[in-house]
Amino acid sequence: MPHTARLDRATAATLVAASLMAAAVALIFFYVPSDVDQGYSQRIFYFHVPIALTTYTLFAWGALNAARYLWTGREDLDLKSYVPMHLGVIFGSLTLVTGSIWAHISWGTWWDWGSRELNTFLIIFLFYCAYFMLRFSVEPGARRSRYSAVYALLGVGLIPLSVLAVRIAQDALHPIVFRSNGVNMDGSMFLTFCVALAAMLSLAVSMYLVEMRGKRVDERLAQLRRLAQEAA
Amino acid sequence: MNARALRALVRKDLLLELRGREVVPSMAVFVAAAFVLFRFGLGGTDLAGGTRAATGMLWVAIVFTALVGLSRSFAHEREGGTWDGLLAAPVDRALFWAARTCSTFLFLAAVQVVALPAFWLFFLQEHAGPSYPVLVAAVLLADVGIACLGSLLAGLASSVRAREVLLPTLFLPFSIPLVLTAVRVTTDTIPPQTGGLDTLGRLGFLALYDTVFALLGWALFEYVVED
Repeated sequence: MPHTARLDRATAATLVAASLMAAAVALIFFYVPSDVDQGYSQRIFYFHVPIALTTYTLFAWGALNAARYLWTGREDLDLKSYVPMHLGVIFGSLTLVTGSIWAHISWGTWWDWGSRELNTFLIIFLFYCAYFMLRFSVEPGARRSRYSAVYALLGVGLIPLSVLAVRIAQDALHPIVFRSNGVNMDGSMFLTFCVALAAMLSLAVSMYLVEMRGKRVDERLAQLRRLAQEAA
Repeated sequence: MNARALRALVRKDLLLELRGREVVPSMAVFVAAAFVLFRFGLGGTDLAGGTRAATGMLWVAIVFTALVGLSRSFAHEREGGTWDGLLAAPVDRALFWAARTCSTFLFLAAVQVVALPAFWLFFLQEHAGPSYPVLVAAVLLADVGIACLGSLLAGLASSVRAREVLLPTLFLPFSIPLVLTAVRVTTDTIPPQTGGLDTLGRLGFLALYDTVFALLGWALFEYVVED
């Protein structure tokens, strides 16, 4: 039965996410040494950066499914594009909040208009909020799916352009951890970072599976309701 | 690409505008009013923020003016029900986007012929003249980008509830990288500022922006009108 199989997958993903998250929290608070310059507070890095990377992954996933939808016209791909976008906005808000807290602790300002990453992220975040406005302005159906997919794909053009525009417009303050010549972290920090990233990604996957299941149940319920009305 | 069909479609847009005078005059009045508003917003006699604030206002005004024009884009198709006729024509759907991009670009450029001198008069009269080739290049490149993206988004918004509200919401996030770069280029055209090689790089960015959204507009528009 496909339905129980999905249920199992979502539960399994949730269990993996929960154990990885516990491991990540343990490593972040009890194992990893404090940063030399920024001290204890730098630990927010292990939340902020994995959340940001998860957000980008979710957006890429949503855009990929949007492209596949336009290419093939398969209806299920619309939902598979919308759900990652929706989760991406949740993770995106968390990125802005954690980034803002980190900025307050290390630079003394809640928002730094000179920071490339924060500002790029803000543009992308606004873009995805607009995606929702568009999606909720169109009646459900093929047109909504098409319009959402078109707008999601425009974002694929916007993201690199925003990165570039913010970069050529101003100068950097944001700490650079990953340089082109390798990782600027010691072994224990890198391990903690990897576990935290895996935890965030698996959390996203489990949220995706749970939300997809909910949406499918919604759809089936609507279908049944229509059938019941027709029968009555 | 069917050049004859494109010419005919652009000609239709220009004729409609010449006869109805719906878009360009409102855009021109809007941009002038916006300049006056911004001038007072930045302080009536002394300009707060200097040239940088002034060029920022210029580009914000241009983006909003473009939105005023774009909100009427596809109005004839929608209200007059002319889409069906257009869609029956044996041409690539992307051509409708290309034609609307051309006419939007022309409207915007026409408004700027008035708006840019007005801007200089309102904000920067005491400054020496700008470096004209750079300024014109920046404005035209930005216009192409606004037109490419704007006509696609106007197409998206035109058949949707609350389209007047939705179009700016859809458009503004995309205008941020454009405005960010255009403001830097424009500021660097005003003496004694000079951007040198950086200016060339920023103009290159504007050209890249145009290319990206021209390609996306061309590729995606058929999904906007497919009905």
